[in-house]
Amino acid sequence: MSAVATPARPTASRQASGGMSTKTLNRIVIYGLLTLFALFYLMPLFVMLVTSFKTMDEIQNGNMLSLPKAPTFDPWLKAWGETCVGLTCAGIKGYFWNSIKMVVPAVLISTMLGALNGYVLTKWRFRGATLVFGLMLFACFIPFQSVLLPMATILGSLGRFGVSLQNSVGTSFGLGNSTVNLVFVHVVYGIGFTTLFFRNYYEAFPNELIKAAQVDGASFFQIFRRIMLPNSMPIFVVTVIYQFTNIWNDFLFASAYAGTGDSMPMTVALNNVVNTSTGVVEYNVNMAAAMIAALPTLIVYVVAGRYFVRGLMAGAVKG
Amino acid sequence: MAFLEIDGLKKRFGNVEILKGIDVELEKGGFLVLVGPSGCGKSTLLNTIAGLEQITEGEIRVDGRAINDLHPSKRDIAMVFQSYALYPNMTVAGNISFGMEMRGVPADERQKAIDKVAKVLQIGHLLQRKPSQLSGGQRQRVAMGRALVRDPKLFLFDEPLSNLDAKLRVDMRIEIKRLHATTGTTIVYVTHDQIEAMTLATKIAVMRDGEVQQFGTPAEIYNNPSNLFVADFMGSPAMNLIPATIATSGNALSVVLQREAREPITLPMANAPAGLSAFQGKPIIFGVRPEALTDPEGAERNASNIATADLHIEVVEPAGSDTFAVTNLGGKPVVARLRADANIQPGTSTPLAFNLTKAVFFDPATESRIR
Repeated sequence: MSAVATPARPTASRQASGGMSTKTLNRIVIYGLLTLFALFYLMPLFVMLVTSFKTMDEIQNGNMLSLPKAPTFDPWLKAWGETCVGLTCAGIKGYFWNSIKMVVPAVLISTMLGALNGYVLTKWRFRGATLVFGLMLFACFIPFQSVLLPMATILGSLGRFGVSLQNSVGTSFGLGNSTVNLVFVHVVYGIGFTTLFFRNYYEAFPNELIKAAQVDGASFFQIFRRIMLPNSMPIFVVTVIYQFTNIWNDFLFASAYAGTGDSMPMTVALNNVVNTSTGVVEYNVNMAAAMIAALPTLIVYVVAGRYFVRGLMAGAVKG
Repeated sequence: MAFLEIDGLKKRFGNVEILKGIDVELEKGGFLVLVGPSGCGKSTLLNTIAGLEQITEGEIRVDGRAINDLHPSKRDIAMVFQSYALYPNMTVAGNISFGMEMRGVPADERQKAIDKVAKVLQIGHLLQRKPSQLSGGQRQRVAMGRALVRDPKLFLFDEPLSNLDAKLRVDMRIEIKRLHATTGTTIVYVTHDQIEAMTLATKIAVMRDGEVQQFGTPAEIYNNPSNLFVADFMGSPAMNLIPATIATSGNALSVVLQREAREPITLPMANAPAGLSAFQGKPIIFGVRPEALTDPEGAERNASNIATADLHIEVVEPAGSDTFAVTNLGGKPVVARLRADANIQPGTSTPLAFNLTKAVFFDPATESRIR
């Protein structure tokens, strides 16, 4: 590093010739501290990972930090297919799919609505657009806890409406289904964030492109689909990662509105696995279950992560 | 009846009047340039013609049909934007054919139209590239191709050359002029560059503060500016506008120009405009273009009214093709345009010839022309 800087800075070269320069020393301290913090932060993950591959014997008699002597996949298989969640002992696989069924629609719907909102708020400004955006921003700062009870009331009403629909029309259109309820809650709660992301991204999007498309005869939705969306990849990735992580990891809404029964999401199921009060606590199975629960967000981040930073920057800096 | 007619067009944003009653018309195949300083409303005027801005009052007619309430796509216009506004996610071919696609033109016809335009603009080899892989000049061509492919009644250009470097700008200017000559389309063109206005236009509208200051052919605008603003804005270097007074000697009028530390110059006016006699003894603005103030050998041979005076030269600027000499008259720097090889030294006095047939006069109070 110092070699790059020395030609421009004679003082630095003088120090370098007398031994280690202060710059190098600074680097060592900075990187040393960063490595230390990173290790500290990665420690729980490491413990989880090694524990999930150990047998119960090894966990009870060995060191928490040591590598497994005879790595085994059994805890993972047991967590996936056999472990007890509450009273049913069929593993967490069903709940994993519950989460997927809930997260995918919630992420897609909230992202699309956010993109549409951002498009309207920047390119089709109407009287009061700024106020509407301000209110949507406000939605980002509402604490989860404060909406629990009112939302429960609303979901209850929707459920009753679903029952009467079922009786009169023959289908409830999913109203009252707890997966649908969770999708609804997460979409409503997510719109504030997704709108914020897309509005800021589209604010820097050149207006002349919209004008050109108008002259070319494209309609409101044609412009959105053909011009805006194909040029929104970075912010799309950011929003999807953000929403996916938040909704997948959510425990509060999940336990409040789908805390019991077959449709509970992964997070609630994991809690029930760990909180089982019968028999020995199977740390290896619990750790494997937790790893399985964390995998999707990890995968999403690894696959799309390089766009994440790029997208955040693109929204913030013009050009 | 003209091809493009704009009648009493007004545009207000809330209480602010951006366009204050514009009346302009253009014949078929004409090239109208809207020119003016930034904020004069020229781009807004273009946007109202395109339909991207609604008008508050007045009417816009193309070929006898009022278009001011139509959607931009229904007006039969094409527009080239300052930033080119090429869709970054589409190839060049996709960009050119997007409008046709929106209008439901079948794919094989689209392809034919693309090939035709690509041939005219020589962009055939670029058709499969994305805009980000093109140079500035190539993007400019594609933007023009997108407009050309529509074969519209009216072309609108919004400062299309201002993002190019100086040399490319001159090339593209010639290209646009050639395109206009070969296709015979009707064009409305916005620019703040008065050289583009002079070279391209068949009609120029000089605008300021939402009003047309003067509307006419380039020669009219250049030689017969109707007020001080137009005289000052058009031409490079700008017209010399010198504070002066009018005196009478016998029954002929003369212009008196103050010089620093010397007696004033008196220029006899043989063909003074009729209105000038009312300004005897009063201050006026005397306007003379740099090329009408030159060395006596370089003065126009057939000009009927030439007056020569000794002037103190302060600065000499050799520009290659010409030499510009700066002197001081009436307390303002005055530029004279001399032959390239004129032998002239700063700090000396040299006789210079005023071509008074080209001189114009303005009332300093109203800023309008004295005719």
